[in-house]
Amino acid sequence: MSSIVSKLAFALTVTLAAAALRALPARAGDGGTVVIATTQAPRHFNGAVQSGLATALPSTQIFASPLRYDDNWNPKPYLAESWQTAPDGLSITLKLVKNAVFHDGHPVTSEDVAFSIMAIKANHPFQSMLAAVEKVDTPDPYTAVIRLSYPHPALLLAMSPALMPILPKHIYGDGQDLKSHPANLKPVGSGPFRLTDYKQGEYYTLEKFDRFFIPGRPRLDKIVVRIISDPNAALVSLERGDVNVLPFVTGVRDIDRLEKTPNVYVTSKGFAGIGALNWLAFNTRKKPLDDVRVRQAIGFAANRDFIINKLMGGKATAATGPIAPGSPLAEPDVEAYKFDLARAEQLLDAAGYPKKPDGSRLSLTIDYIPGADEQQRNIAEYLRSQLKRAGINLEVRAAADFPTWAQRISTYDFDMTMDTVFNWGDPVIGVDRTYLSSNIRKGIIWSNTQQYSNPKVDELLAAAARETSPEKRKALYSEFQKIVVSDAPIFYINATPYYNAFSKGLSGLPTTIWGLMSPLDELYWETPPKT
Amino acid sequence: MNLVAHVIRQAANAAGLLLAVLVLNFCLIHLTPGDPAQVMAGEMGGASPEVMAALRVKYGLDHSLAEQLLTYLSKVATGDFGYSYYFNEPVVGLIAQRLPATLYLVLSALLLSVLIGTLLGVVSARRPNGLFSQAVTVLSLAGYAAPIFWTGLMLLLLFGSVWPVLPVSGMADVVTPKTGLAYAIDVARHLVLPSSTLALVFIAQYSRLARVNMIDALAADYVRTARAKGLPEYVVVGKHALRNTLIPIVTVAGLQFGQLFAGAVLVETIFSWPGMGRLVFESILRRDYPTLLAILFFSAVLVMAANIVTDLVYRLIDPRIRSGAP
Amino acid sequence: MSRTEKPAMPEPGSVLPATPTASPAMAALRQFARSPSGVIGAAVLLTLVAITAFGPFFYPIDPLDIVGAPFTAPGADAWLGTDYLGRDELAGLIHGGRATLTVGAVAAVITIVIGVTIGALGGFFGGAIAALLGKITEFFQILPPLLFAMVLVTLFGQTLTTITIAIGAVSWPTAARLTRAEFLRLRGLDFVKASRAAGAGNGHLILRVVLPNALPPVIVAATLAIGVAILFEGGLSFLGLGDPNTMSWGLMIGENRNYVLDGWWTVTFPGAAIFVAVLAISLIGDGINDALNPRLRRRS
Repeated sequence: MSSIVSKLAFALTVTLAAAALRALPARAGDGGTVVIATTQAPRHFNGAVQSGLATALPSTQIFASPLRYDDNWNPKPYLAESWQTAPDGLSITLKLVKNAVFHDGHPVTSEDVAFSIMAIKANHPFQSMLAAVEKVDTPDPYTAVIRLSYPHPALLLAMSPALMPILPKHIYGDGQDLKSHPANLKPVGSGPFRLTDYKQGEYYTLEKFDRFFIPGRPRLDKIVVRIISDPNAALVSLERGDVNVLPFVTGVRDIDRLEKTPNVYVTSKGFAGIGALNWLAFNTRKKPLDDVRVRQAIGFAANRDFIINKLMGGKATAATGPIAPGSPLAEPDVEAYKFDLARAEQLLDAAGYPKKPDGSRLSLTIDYIPGADEQQRNIAEYLRSQLKRAGINLEVRAAADFPTWAQRISTYDFDMTMDTVFNWGDPVIGVDRTYLSSNIRKGIIWSNTQQYSNPKVDELLAAAARETSPEKRKALYSEFQKIVVSDAPIFYINATPYYNAFSKGLSGLPTTIWGLMSPLDELYWETPPKT
Repeated sequence: MNLVAHVIRQAANAAGLLLAVLVLNFCLIHLTPGDPAQVMAGEMGGASPEVMAALRVKYGLDHSLAEQLLTYLSKVATGDFGYSYYFNEPVVGLIAQRLPATLYLVLSALLLSVLIGTLLGVVSARRPNGLFSQAVTVLSLAGYAAPIFWTGLMLLLLFGSVWPVLPVSGMADVVTPKTGLAYAIDVARHLVLPSSTLALVFIAQYSRLARVNMIDALAADYVRTARAKGLPEYVVVGKHALRNTLIPIVTVAGLQFGQLFAGAVLVETIFSWPGMGRLVFESILRRDYPTLLAILFFSAVLVMAANIVTDLVYRLIDPRIRSGAP
Repeated sequence: MSRTEKPAMPEPGSVLPATPTASPAMAALRQFARSPSGVIGAAVLLTLVAITAFGPFFYPIDPLDIVGAPFTAPGADAWLGTDYLGRDELAGLIHGGRATLTVGAVAAVITIVIGVTIGALGGFFGGAIAALLGKITEFFQILPPLLFAMVLVTLFGQTLTTITIAIGAVSWPTAARLTRAEFLRLRGLDFVKASRAAGAGNGHLILRVVLPNALPPVIVAATLAIGVAILFEGGLSFLGLGDPNTMSWGLMIGENRNYVLDGWWTVTFPGAAIFVAVLAISLIGDGINDALNPRLRRRS
């Protein structure tokens, strides 16, 4: 008898132990659903062929990328568990994790990485991002060697989740045009969440991928993204707890209101990677703005402090140069153009625009991006009043819609314009395009529409793009910023104040440089909401 | 007069006009500088020339205006109004989503204004020089002069911060969505402010019209006869005078559908009412050609439909026409 | 009075004889002066016009200038407060009236000119011309006015000129229908036939015989059209399609629309100004209506 009992006991123990070993201990706070509100519906879910915030949010949950980033611009392993840049800078070797699989079970191999990189190079709107890539060798299934035609330090940032989603070759490699591939609406990736439901224009649902290659992640069971096009309704939803995350809040009053809401946590962290800059751009080939003294005068006459403190309620950070203040490459020691009306008037006199009897010196027009009142229109209207004090009469030209404005600016039919441009992490991706002489391309918005041309700057940017030594690179960009700021093709005003708002109780918040445009596998409910 | 033939003729006329509306607006909108490819480039944060060229080919923007027009018209004939660049869904679906909200708003405002306007006018007609009558005249003048967007904003202020008993934005509760009867009541509550704002202007007009016509009607011969016959007052007023008062009001109301719609755009903006009015706004800003064209088209359709219906109702309730005069 | 009678118009020749002299106008004016609403309206409007015409000399603050902190409540610093940029509300009201009233008047003129021309030609000639003009009128009538004006302003730019023309271009159908109805009615009357028999050409008939007698409702319509145009400009500015370089009452409301809950004064005052102006114009319209249609007077 006792032998049977002991055998049974033994069997039971073994079974229990095996069960215990198989299941990972669930930590407190795992599970649950988070609802994110967004004002813009994504066109589709494939971030390889489409940039922009609406696509990046879902794309970074569904697809994984070789690298991811932390709060301090340090790359961290993701699909690539290690990476090595060759000493000559002409190749980067990625060693992939061996246990990553796509949502349909296929393993993620170097073939997929090679395919994705070449696909992005061919289809992505930002052509400079991967222009240096020649090909990708795949010596074995878990090694990818990216071969470059010249050193390309920006490649590391280009391997971020928002910019380099790894696509499954066995699905996308069928010859169809990637930009309109049907899989874009039924995406299969290797990221922490799978797309399980999608109602066009209303919401989409992302559910935990059980076989995600990082154990214990993602911590949430489900993310629902609701499309609420009315910003006010989105705010109210967050306040009442119907929605848990509200990204990209940018209105001063909205931010104020949310900061005062008891069950909401507001943070400005998570936007350093995007590097959104708000500025006043000059058409440097049009009289009188072809004279640097006039441009500098406008810089001195405009009161950046008033704009930031009074018009933006102190919610924005000042920007003084082409690289956004949150970037490690930003050079703070540049001419800040602090408000100095006397100096402005001196410069205008020197440039040959004296004050006429009625108090005016010259007349200019100013444009702005329609639909962005607080960051664009209000400043244009403010400048009209402010620059009048220096004798500059401004006519505000309103454009009823974005293409009208874009058409004017890209065909150089403007004097000055307000604009918002993103750095996108590495200067090669989002900064060069504004200052390179070679990027003066008519008809393309957000190219070098200021028609700025300085051979020294071209030289510096070309050298910095290829400089593999971080110290030397920083020095090159430093010189670049100093020159550009004193050449003043642009008067820099502020970093666009973006904030993310979360329901209190959430932890593991996405505060890396890419914020919500990176996987939310660490997000969890520390204190779940009372149901 | 054969009513059916009449309606058919009107419908044919309408079709011709609507076609003209489509063509005109298509040409106008496509004349503006820039195109939707730029909108998409804008959303993406910038795009290379190659990508933009590819987008233009994809959306057929590289063809000539005439070609694009013909393609568009042939698609419309099959009920395909195209795909919204901005909202990323078929335009018809988009409009089908938003149209009901606007219809609730417009029809409830219409009903409200006709009922209240007529009531005010009729009551004040009994004693044309009395205090009530004069008050109605003054109020109706005021209602007409006050800009809709101003009245709406004032009501928003009142119910938004001073006396928050009514919801001031949206059509229904997004926090705890209700179903069935509770949903209907919720929508009705949200409808109160926007609908009243929209109705105010027209209440003013209809009360004046009702008053004038009622005074006229009450002084008519046949009314005096009816009274002399000893018919009860409410029959006199209700049956005879009222019917003749309603005719011009119905006519005017039907013809003003276009203005109701315009007012709806303003009201929807103020109260964040998710209707077609706001869609106009958004699609103009994004140069969303297909959506904009479809909205212009459908509003013209609604106006035409209102005209035809008004004409029908007019013929039905006006005994002189019903009796066979052409 | 039997209902089947058409609304009474002055008998041809009784108010405006074939050779107009000053006295009928004076007679109409005297009638107008007897209507209390008309007089009040005229007084209010004249006051508004005076304020907007001469006010800027007494209060020369530029409404587009920033004079203080944004959203200052009405008080000692700024009598009617400041708006979202810190611009003076009172200056906006005084200076902005010019733009609003001018747009109203000019747009009304455009409306009437187009409408009367099309209506007159259609009503007078009949036949194919009438059919064509009628179709055009109907076409413009089914286009929702605000939407189409929005498209036009988007297309041709947000300036006061464009806005004025756009308003005129969408508002004329009502005037056209009115004029056409009048011309249809009048052309069959004896005095017209007599003139024609006497050898008058079409031009003379239209301009000097029929039109003067069709004027009364047209004048009333013209007056009301000013009010409608003012409201229209307000609506367009409210939606963000106003001219940003010229302060107008509509622009004040439109630019501060999102901040209503932060500063009620920014939209209340300009809205009240529009309200008063349109009310005054409506009263004047009523007064003119009474003066020119004496037989209808007992109705109002």
